[in-house]
Amino acid sequence: MSDLLRRLSYPLTYLTLVGLCVIGMTTHRGPVELGLAHRILLSITLPLERIVTFPVREARRLWRDYTGLVDVREHNEVLRQRVTDLELENLQYKEAIVSSERFQRLASFRAKREIPMVPANVVAQDLSPWFQAVIIDQGSSAGIGPGMPVITDSGVVGVVAGTTPGASKVLLVIDPQSRVDVYVQRTRARGTLRGRTDLDCEFLNVLREDDVREGDLVLTSGLAAMYPKGLVVGRVSRVERKPYGLFQRAEVEPAVDFSKLEEVFVILERRELPADDAFFSESAELWPEARE
Amino acid sequence: MTAHLKLLGLGVLLLLLHALGTSILPALARPDFVLIFVLTLGLRIGGGTGALALAFLMGFCVDVLSGSPLGLYALLRGTACVLTRLVDRALYLRASLPWAIYVMAYAFVDAVLMSLTLRVLVPEGMIPWGTVLLHVPLAGFITAILAVPLLSVTQRLEAEVQGEGAWTSLSSRARV
Repeated sequence: MSDLLRRLSYPLTYLTLVGLCVIGMTTHRGPVELGLAHRILLSITLPLERIVTFPVREARRLWRDYTGLVDVREHNEVLRQRVTDLELENLQYKEAIVSSERFQRLASFRAKREIPMVPANVVAQDLSPWFQAVIIDQGSSAGIGPGMPVITDSGVVGVVAGTTPGASKVLLVIDPQSRVDVYVQRTRARGTLRGRTDLDCEFLNVLREDDVREGDLVLTSGLAAMYPKGLVVGRVSRVERKPYGLFQRAEVEPAVDFSKLEEVFVILERRELPADDAFFSESAELWPEARE
Repeated sequence: MTAHLKLLGLGVLLLLLHALGTSILPALARPDFVLIFVLTLGLRIGGGTGALALAFLMGFCVDVLSGSPLGLYALLRGTACVLTRLVDRALYLRASLPWAIYVMAYAFVDAVLMSLTLRVLVPEGMIPWGTVLLHVPLAGFITAILAVPLLSVTQRLEAEVQGEGAWTSLSSRARV
């Protein structure tokens, strides 16, 4: 009996662990608060990974700083001239804003709408060549939660997929699991952006008759309740329009260079789709006669 | 016990090397040290449930540090350990060349298994076959080359483990 159990222990262990993995994969979809085991492992492995990758990051930074010094004097001259031009331009704008009451109102409105953001450093990259995620050094203790958008000054980076108190996992827009509702700035043609692993994205579900061209700027639509409207995602790099079918397909080169991603900002605003009754209550206020 | 700890330490070291590889090398030429480790676990010390659990744990570590669906790499790495154990009974894999060929072949199998698992369980994270086939050859080849010296390291460890008393199922396997 004990011999039978011993023989069965290996397949039983395997089947149990496989079952746990399948449950994990089918239940943990989308941004979630990380579980205890996940947190513990991340807390143990992340400092080790930081130590290992630190020399590489520093070497890269040194090299970039060194190469950045080339032609720095000429650049400085050009930049000084530009700063002077911009200062003059800025003065004119300031004057216009101060003199116009309307502009003042707009300015105060903008200040109210300013989105709170947390800066964070990328501390680890995805270990798998098939998926695209990074780990940043700010977590739930900084107010970050799953589902919050992550951006840089260039554009959209991704979304927080999970958090621990000191770190967060960010799923990049180039990950195959990522979906972003976007539109083309020039023609307002809408579609869905899907990651492709190869540092670029597919622009899907764009109607065939929509005007999409290479070089068009692609922005977030704000409709999928994940990203605010109007964030730059990238530029159309290729358009494929077949003579048949409802949709055309395009490729989008992200605005962010993910191979050199170091600092990011997490928008501390989790957008959620309004509940069904919220729409009806709002519309009832606007059009009471429609309710009747 | 010391040998088991050394084995665990080797696993952690390879995980860190894997992390270092992601910082330095492009995805097309990145060796999968974790895959090599779990294959060696299946090959020699891998008789036991302890080794199987360690393979799952290594996969789970990759899951934690990557954007993969939770459990995907744990499943793949555990399966790699089990399949190697089965293949090892039919083929001689403990010499350098057969071992390298096996690792290269398994890199393909692993990519196919991953793609199939995603198609069945997480269709929204599906990776196109074209991407899979583009990524595997060079990375698989480099993984196979690096697997050879690691085989000798783990063979030494195996000798130590057997000297100290192997993991439960390994002892039953020895009787068989």
